[in-house]
Amino acid sequence: MYVYIYDNFVRNKKFESLIKAMEIRLTDYGIAGKILRLTNYTDAKPIIDDEIKRGAKTVVIVGNDETFGHVLSRSATCDCTFGFLPVGPGNTIAKVLGIPEGEAACDTLSRRRKELLDVGWMNNRYFVSQLHVYPAKLEVVYDERFKVYANDLMEVVVCNLQPYYWKKHTKSQDQQVVHPQDGKLEAFLRPLTKKRFWGYNYEDPSIFPFEEMEIFAKEPFTVEADGKKSKEVKVKIKLAHGKIDMIVGRGRKF
Amino acid sequence: MDPTQYTSSAEDTVETVVGPSVNVEGDFASEGNIIVKGTVSGSVHTSRHLVVEAGARIMANVRAGSAQIAGEVKGNMKVKENLELMSTARVVGDIEVKVLAVEAGALICGKIMMPGLEAESRAMKKTIGKKFDEQPVMMDA
Repeated sequence: MYVYIYDNFVRNKKFESLIKAMEIRLTDYGIAGKILRLTNYTDAKPIIDDEIKRGAKTVVIVGNDETFGHVLSRSATCDCTFGFLPVGPGNTIAKVLGIPEGEAACDTLSRRRKELLDVGWMNNRYFVSQLHVYPAKLEVVYDERFKVYANDLMEVVVCNLQPYYWKKHTKSQDQQVVHPQDGKLEAFLRPLTKKRFWGYNYEDPSIFPFEEMEIFAKEPFTVEADGKKSKEVKVKIKLAHGKIDMIVGRGRKF
Repeated sequence: MDPTQYTSSAEDTVETVVGPSVNVEGDFASEGNIIVKGTVSGSVHTSRHLVVEAGARIMANVRAGSAQIAGEVKGNMKVKENLELMSTARVVGDIEVKVLAVEAGALICGKIMMPGLEAESRAMKKTIGKKFDEQPVMMDA
């Protein structure tokens, strides 16, 4: 049985025709199911657990990156298969998963090509795609063995699903592709050095594969995990033992 | 060296890069290749390839599968296979290596040991010792 979790923004008139077309396609495939609507303050885990008790086997998230992060940050370890139908702007995770936008995503869903994906754990929540710590005076301790710090500000990006993009020069774009199934998370550290008068220059990134790391700072710093921002003083990040059973597309990037 | 180039050549290995203006302190160990462009102090250990780029500093004992040094290393080095010292390399410490290549201009201050030669010298010592032991027996006869 399929359960569909719609983000609140898909009610917008702009997406009405697309959602209708998708629902028709899903009905054609015989995989239409119960529709639940998500609000900002809804915790997805108890809802999904309830549906699993009622016999749901597949939970499909309908929305964008934020919806994906919102649902899976709590319910990543639920005993079901997850699917994703990208709708609206801000859909980068769908590209990594190889799920096309629009009605074509229903075809991918019906094919049920499944992969087990690693999940990251940050303080008290899961993250699936990427964790971004905005530039601050940070100190990073890896696997309780060695610490890394920069002379000035430093930015940290932890990649799980999403590849990390960085520019060496303003014109060129070098790309690092991170495989989510390598059994490790990858941290990219970019120190910032002061420009001559004002502003900062980004240095080349350092890359550290890890299983557990802690980020400290004397002052609170901003952390963005799967599109959700919070202020922290200490962050413990590790690779969660649980894995997500996810329906992916043929053109996935891992 | 461009890290992206390196990953493309060795895609199967996990790459660790210590970038410029980054300091690492402690027991720095990795299962994959390591590229150092910044500063490392404590100890460095990898079973694979270690690259220390020009301008990088390692103030630690180093153990690696193979290594290419163009920066500064202060500490003892134990390399299983090949060690390549580039013209800008500065090594202060003992080196234990199987195959050593030194480019003109590289500076080394320390003892260099090669396991193959060490075994030969031990054998030589043993034969000399035996001959020395045999002599007094001859004298007694």
